[in-house]
Amino acid sequence: MNPLSTLLTLRKLGIGANRASKRRALFNLALITLVVSALVLAQIFVVSMSRGIADKWALLADGHLQLYLDSGQEPPLYDSIYAVDRVGEVNALLYSPDKNQMVRVKGVEPSYFNRERLDQLTITRKEEPVTSTLAKIMVSTTLAEKLGVGLEDRLALMLVSHNAIRAQLCIIDALYDTGYHELDEQLVFCDLAFLERLFGDGVTSYHEVLTSARTLDGLKGELERAGYVVTTWREQNQALATNLDTSRQAVLAVMVAVAILCGYFISELSAQMVEDDKTRIATLHLIGAQPATVRRAYWLAVMAITAVSLALGISVGVLLARLLPPLLAAIAARSYSALTFYLLDFPIRVPVLDLAIIALVLFCVSALSVHLSLRRVAAIEALSCVRFD
Amino acid sequence: MKKSTDLLQLHRVSKSFPATLRGGEPIHILESIDLAIAPSRAIAITGNSGSGKSTLLQIAAGLMSCNGGEVWFEDQLLGELDSDALSSLRSRRMGFIFQASLLLEDFTAIENVEIAAMIGGSTKAEARSKGRDILDLVGLSSRLSHRPDQLSGGEKQRVAIARALVNEPAILFADEPTGSLDEGNAAMVEELLFSLVKKKGVALLLVTHNLAFARRCDEIQRISDRTLEVIE
Repeated sequence: MNPLSTLLTLRKLGIGANRASKRRALFNLALITLVVSALVLAQIFVVSMSRGIADKWALLADGHLQLYLDSGQEPPLYDSIYAVDRVGEVNALLYSPDKNQMVRVKGVEPSYFNRERLDQLTITRKEEPVTSTLAKIMVSTTLAEKLGVGLEDRLALMLVSHNAIRAQLCIIDALYDTGYHELDEQLVFCDLAFLERLFGDGVTSYHEVLTSARTLDGLKGELERAGYVVTTWREQNQALATNLDTSRQAVLAVMVAVAILCGYFISELSAQMVEDDKTRIATLHLIGAQPATVRRAYWLAVMAITAVSLALGISVGVLLARLLPPLLAAIAARSYSALTFYLLDFPIRVPVLDLAIIALVLFCVSALSVHLSLRRVAAIEALSCVRFD
Repeated sequence: MKKSTDLLQLHRVSKSFPATLRGGEPIHILESIDLAIAPSRAIAITGNSGSGKSTLLQIAAGLMSCNGGEVWFEDQLLGELDSDALSSLRSRRMGFIFQASLLLEDFTAIENVEIAAMIGGSTKAEARSKGRDILDLVGLSSRLSHRPDQLSGGEKQRVAIARALVNEPAILFADEPTGSLDEGNAAMVEELLFSLVKKKGVALLLVTHNLAFARRCDEIQRISDRTLEVIE
């Protein structure tokens, strides 16, 4: 870059400039930073919530993969598999003295609640173990509130089959809370052996496989090639998975649209800059500066402000997102009815690719629109500085 | 045209403006003007307010186009040059001083001069050195790092003179350069201007209504009724 452009650019950035110029540069920087940080925060929030819902569903409702083993087939032992657990499930009616609810009863073995799963829920039980001979079940706090029951209360579990109605009294051994009420209000855990004894052939048995979202599709293919019948949690919950994906894509599209608008807004800033500096630009033209040199200096100044604002905005957005969990936990604890079906307890994940797309779009749109808007620099006649005077 | 050794030549130059934005009968400002300036020669143009003095200077400097006639500057017909070529010509071969100093507010005195030097093709180091030298010549070596708002009117105009001469132009166009100064400062700027023009061998086209100032030039021409006549 030639020294003239450097000098003009630095001064436009407020470096070595008077207080008013510094204030103007800082104001523009703050404005763009504010918009970018809001975009980043919103994107992180939506993606984290969406992935949080997917995680809860995959880890607690179905497992990442569902294996249906033929007789004689052993569960696979691959490095990419965190855990394989045999589970059984039935749909049943759960009766309290006052109310009832159709639920999905999931029979699990004691090893089922490993660290990954325990990270997804909070379990509450009394310090003294329940001594009843009744079958023990774990229901969610959401369901318990709905049925009007609590710890150690009794419930009747009823299976409606083709030829009979069978009921079994159970006792609530523990309450759990995943923070996602839509899942909680339909899922009941109990001992797998009890479920199989009570419902016999009515139980659908399979193995839940836990892996990482990254290796899920690859692992499924590998298992299929090895002769296993396998489905993914997405296939089991197609509507939910599609909704989550669509929501994420729609939000990203909105963010990109806002980034485009922001890019256009930045070109308006540069246009305003040129408008404010008409006399200066005319003077530069008068003393022989090429319009291209002046235009380059303004473009560099605006893009430097944009780049710094982007970096600051992303940092501030990520920082604010990191501060969200305690705030969300406090909101969740207040149990606002309007937020009942929103997941408020989820880990914050920074969607690097999404943020890169938003930043890139904003930068490219502003680079192009600023370039176009600065064409007006060439239209400022040298003589106009004398007229302004 | 252009056959002589003159630096600047105006041949049958005419200029008129539309009466209103929507047209109407045009207002004729200049009609068939001839003017020639040889290298190192100083010519003053005088006339009443609104007579077209400034318009003539602007046409001569290529800042404004004419409706008829030709303007030649060092073998180049200004009307045929594109804006980049005109910019290049202004930066290297022409200097300008107006009634207002037209300094860049965000830049110090030396930076204002340096910028002109860099536009004229100097490196940063060369520009700094030239800037120091010329500001020393105009007596502002102690005000190098002052911004325009920290300088008096006379000092600003001296910086403007330094900026106009830093690239050692062939001609200096000066339009009422002392018009906004008090008597003392005007006399100082006038003295400085002529001493530097003589010292550097620069041609001068001076527009002024101050006859005493004009008399310091080699020749005085007066615009009256759209035409130019030599009066001294």
